[in-house]
Amino acid sequence: MQTDLDSATAALLASFRPRTGTMDAWNAAYVRVEDYLRAHRIHNRLHQSRLIQAILERAARRHEATPAFEPTTLAAEEAAAMMDEWFSELLGEKNLPHERIAVAGRVALLLADGPQKWPYAFLDLKNIPAEFARTMQESSIQAGPDLAVSSMVPREIDLGLISEAAGETLERIEKWPIVRTLLLWTVFVATLMGIFYMTR
Amino acid sequence: MKLFSPEQPEPGRIARRRATFFSGAFALTALATWFMADLLWREGGLDGIEWAILVLFVILFSQVAIGFMTAVLGYYVINRGGDTRRITNTIDWDNEKVDLATTAIVMPVFNEDVSRVFEGLRVIYRSVEETGQLAHFDFFILSDSNKPNQWIQEEVAWVELCKQVKGFGRIFYRKRRQQINKKAGNVADFLRRWGKKYRYMVVLDADSLMTGEALVKLVRMMERNPRTGIIQTAPRLVNGETLYARIMSFANRLYSPIFLSGLNYWQGPDGNYWGHNAIIRVQPFIDHCALPDLPGSEPFGGRILSHDFVEAALMRKAGWHVWLAYDLEGSYEEGPPTLIDSAKRDRRWSQGNMQHTWLLTARGFRPANRFHLFMGVMGYVSSPLWLLFLILSTIHVFNRLREPLAGERLMGESLFFGYPLAIPQAFTLFVFTLLLLFLPKILGVLATAQTPAESRRFGGVGRMALSALGETMVSALLAPIAMLFNTKFVVFTLMGQGVSWVTQNRGATDGTDWREAILTHGEQTLFGIVWGVSAFILLPAFFWWLSPVLVGLVFAIPISIALSKASYGDAAKRLGLFLTPEEVMEPELLRKLRRNLAECYQHPQPLDTLRADYGLMQAVVDPYVNAVHVSLLRQRRPSEESRDYFAQLRQRLLHDGPVKLSSKEKMALLLDAESMIWLHEELWQRPSSALADWWRLAVRQYNVLTAAPITALYR
Repeated sequence: MQTDLDSATAALLASFRPRTGTMDAWNAAYVRVEDYLRAHRIHNRLHQSRLIQAILERAARRHEATPAFEPTTLAAEEAAAMMDEWFSELLGEKNLPHERIAVAGRVALLLADGPQKWPYAFLDLKNIPAEFARTMQESSIQAGPDLAVSSMVPREIDLGLISEAAGETLERIEKWPIVRTLLLWTVFVATLMGIFYMTR
Repeated sequence: MKLFSPEQPEPGRIARRRATFFSGAFALTALATWFMADLLWREGGLDGIEWAILVLFVILFSQVAIGFMTAVLGYYVINRGGDTRRITNTIDWDNEKVDLATTAIVMPVFNEDVSRVFEGLRVIYRSVEETGQLAHFDFFILSDSNKPNQWIQEEVAWVELCKQVKGFGRIFYRKRRQQINKKAGNVADFLRRWGKKYRYMVVLDADSLMTGEALVKLVRMMERNPRTGIIQTAPRLVNGETLYARIMSFANRLYSPIFLSGLNYWQGPDGNYWGHNAIIRVQPFIDHCALPDLPGSEPFGGRILSHDFVEAALMRKAGWHVWLAYDLEGSYEEGPPTLIDSAKRDRRWSQGNMQHTWLLTARGFRPANRFHLFMGVMGYVSSPLWLLFLILSTIHVFNRLREPLAGERLMGESLFFGYPLAIPQAFTLFVFTLLLLFLPKILGVLATAQTPAESRRFGGVGRMALSALGETMVSALLAPIAMLFNTKFVVFTLMGQGVSWVTQNRGATDGTDWREAILTHGEQTLFGIVWGVSAFILLPAFFWWLSPVLVGLVFAIPISIALSKASYGDAAKRLGLFLTPEEVMEPELLRKLRRNLAECYQHPQPLDTLRADYGLMQAVVDPYVNAVHVSLLRQRRPSEESRDYFAQLRQRLLHDGPVKLSSKEKMALLLDAESMIWLHEELWQRPSSALADWWRLAVRQYNVLTAAPITALYR
């Protein structure tokens, strides 16, 4: 029994070790993937750690071929790629470009409350609960109903003779700022004269 | 009570009612004018200044008389057991079943408190659901918010609300890219897109609340009365916490029944629209209420700012009835919490109302609508006229003092219990004016006190009377402050100037802080002191006449601060003062809203460093918020130039942090789907060393905040 446990632990520990890149760089990549999964509300630690390992393994393989890239960047790209594959499978949309499947998938996951209701389902391609798949496929947001366009064009209001005349005068005055200023001064002087007269 | 049918015209009855109303107002104004002219005439005819005083007096007193007549007629109607000619009396609510029709509940919002908006919508939605008539209603949040934080929070809150109430396909969210024509343009945009799908729409403000029962009743009344275009409800002021808000709510609840009954008595089907908490027949509104610009440019011309009165006038011009359902329960709104907030609202309204001057002589408008427009204009123009009246009166006293034996002539003597008593000549007029000013308040108290059950809803007769006395004193103190505020607004509007406000100290936990109050009311205090001292030097007796006006002005700063305090409002509530029926017996709708909001506001706030751009941060960092936001954006094919522009903006945002971008630049990025997708991916892919400190903190901090399984800040 003891031997079985030891060999299982040994196998787990030996299963994945990045062969290129520094420890600091892979630690940073680990933190980034962990943050990204938590941002997806993957709060199931066990599932989260398995996913991190799977993502980092894929990133490590790529890093061996392209060591110029940062492990953080590769890990984030692999996470996105895994999500695309998973969303495509779940939603039955295999030919959509990356941006569209990523957006549609995340919206569906949010509306279905996926991470809360099916805590082990995230990114698991082999065991997809039927109800989860159905809920995901039915989830979509509709910001507005179908358009039913009407024409609502402003119609002139006949302001009547007085207002029309006043409006035309005002528009004319607005065209000549000097007249407007003179008018204001006239009102000011008239007010002063009025006060002067009234206090005599 | 026999049911009323507005479809059968009764021109004789409405003409008699209007004759009573306007004749009464005219007779009272004539009588007061007689007293005033007699006073001014005593020195042998009227000179120029006296003519000016008399003309101003007539204009101002007519406003008082109109208010008085409205209240008296309202009191008469209530005492008669209610008006039969009211729109709510067109259906036998107990025995008749009127079918409903498709109705949109639209709520235009502009940078409002997102929690309040969506929690308000939640309780309205639930209330409609409880009536079993939800299938007839759709709900629209029409957002014109132009702050990134507000916008993102609205999207998040909308998704969360829809998830929680299973409202997808029934609660919709529309964000306009361009905020053309403000609220009227926002509603018009809705009508152009979806108006045809609905027979009615109910327009709500961001702080409006309506019960499902009230909404269902409104639709039924519209269905019963096919010539009715708008039914306006009378929203009760609720949820006041500060002393100011509670006093205003109390006044609204106690006095509005008689004023609204009086208003309905004479206006009948020529009612007004107040912009919210009203139901509108969609097709005629589309046909007749698309508003043109007025001649000239702002402040007087250009876009019509206060659209509601004009829309009511246009509906009436087209032959549709506009009714006031003044007795329909279940319609609420919130008022401004402080005197300064109230003044800020008045600043917005004053310009819009003054624009209505253009429309007073518009062809085809009904006389009643012209009157509504005129009263709207006078609501603000009367303030400078009142100030002018008081200043001219001061000048008049100054002139009279320079005449020989002036003091003796200004004070007549009467015998009081055998003692000689100096009584000014204006005493009769003074008493008459006071009567007209305060009798409506007394009638309001009497109308409620007559029914014990009603008075208990205000805390009992004693407390209600005491509160009414307190409210009267406060309103007397506030009147001169409002006069100077409104005068400033009118003058600044005429000069085309904006009014700047002091930035509120957000750290102040209980109301207006001293700095804000001093800077806002300082000039009023100074004006009051200079005026008071001048009056006292001229003639002490005149100073005492002016003192009711001066007290409010001189003490404007402490009054404003005291009224803004929620602790004082709470203390008054504990003493049983200014109680309203909604406080004594809180309606279920308000109770739920209060409970939900308390839960919302307990949610931890983001770090100060992140708070200013939290919305943008969510839209970039959070995979779900990013996806929702992108899926709500219209996909566009950008030009080569705009691609370059967005590329450099995106780089700056990640490299320098949002603090280096203007609000306009942040909005531009948020409006561009391609940029938002790129930013989300790039942020998570870049090594920390290539990100601004702000983003590094955001990524770490955000995960702490989202430890709980929720996406929104709001639940």
